[in-house]
Amino acid sequence: MHIPDGFISPQTYLPAYALCAGLWWMGMHRLRARLDEATLPYVAVLTALSFVLMMVALPLPGGTTAHAAGIALLAVSLGVWMAFLAVSMVLAMQALLFGDGGITALAVNALAMGFLGSLSARITWRLLRPLHEGAALWLAGWVSVVLPALAVALVLGLQPVIAQDAAGKPLFFPFGLRVTLPALLMPHALVGVGEGILTWLGYRYLTRLRQRHAT
Amino acid sequence: MHRANHHQALLLAYAGAILTATLVHEPRHLALGLLLVLILAGRQITRILLRTLRVVLLFNLTVSLGYVLLALLRHISPWDTLILINLRVLTLTCLTFLFIARVNLFQALGFSRTLTWLLVLAYSQALALKQVHEDFRLALVSRTPIRPSLRDRYRASAAAAAWLLDKGLAGAHQTALALRSRGFFDA
Repeated sequence: MHIPDGFISPQTYLPAYALCAGLWWMGMHRLRARLDEATLPYVAVLTALSFVLMMVALPLPGGTTAHAAGIALLAVSLGVWMAFLAVSMVLAMQALLFGDGGITALAVNALAMGFLGSLSARITWRLLRPLHEGAALWLAGWVSVVLPALAVALVLGLQPVIAQDAAGKPLFFPFGLRVTLPALLMPHALVGVGEGILTWLGYRYLTRLRQRHAT
Repeated sequence: MHRANHHQALLLAYAGAILTATLVHEPRHLALGLLLVLILAGRQITRILLRTLRVVLLFNLTVSLGYVLLALLRHISPWDTLILINLRVLTLTCLTFLFIARVNLFQALGFSRTLTWLLVLAYSQALALKQVHEDFRLALVSRTPIRPSLRDRYRASAAAAAWLLDKGLAGAHQTALALRSRGFFDA
């Protein structure tokens, strides 16, 4: 889902940055209210863990690999706003410290993966938790991958319509929705299965660790 | 303070350059921009170019070949679009790597105490955990003379993730105590 620079038009990334800035401000405001010796390092460490989780490649049959993101795990453990800030921080670190992922795509990625991913995961988990916690965690993980993939596919697929020259040729990402929707949704529906398992196992393990560290 | 302002000014200049490069749609102007970035890179030109190619090659090659195929099916020329898109991607990515090489992001974000603290904590933890992740990868490679099976690689990934979670939580507890003892939360 990491889009390099140069594929998203300013007509897209400028409004995305404006929306993201508002959400970042709200998130920071909420974080500051909860900021104490427990929350600040906890958010920082889970942010770092999410960063590393994105590097832990999950092998897929056929020789390819996919990486986990830990977004649902962050959302169910820390809440939507903290997860959104943590994922945004990871994406910003990847773009500005390691050159991975574009700076023009940062806001789109933060909105899709950080906000939509966290929100959808948290809502799924809250709604389904009373019925079956394991299923709720798995579905939260799956949704946190597939919905952002859908959002990114829509953003990329609309670029030829949003930004084109006088002759109708695309100025940024050149493929429409007919290409981007299957190209992004099909592999991410599979990646979501792994992310769901990771969320389920990760949450159980994290709960056990918290109990151990508390005693 | 003076250095922090210098880095903040460079951050603003970088943001301006990024915006400009996405507003320009003339390939010759983008080529001039790329040339300027490479001149500014000085002795780091080879390193920046190689890093750029490593990051963009796979994605751009996939998009470019796909677009050539699409253009052939639609009987249109793909070259104007491909030259424009690839020049823009190269210019922007080289610019980002030049920014990374020249600007201290921690000082550039010095206007926000909370943001700087979060970045410092997350970055230091990420670097340490990244090293550990690489150690785990090398350990698996060195202990398996034949290519590890899918099951082995899943188990190794799960063990690495579990260890990182454990280490992360223990680190969070230590950092919390260190911050509290230094009065960070008193202000």
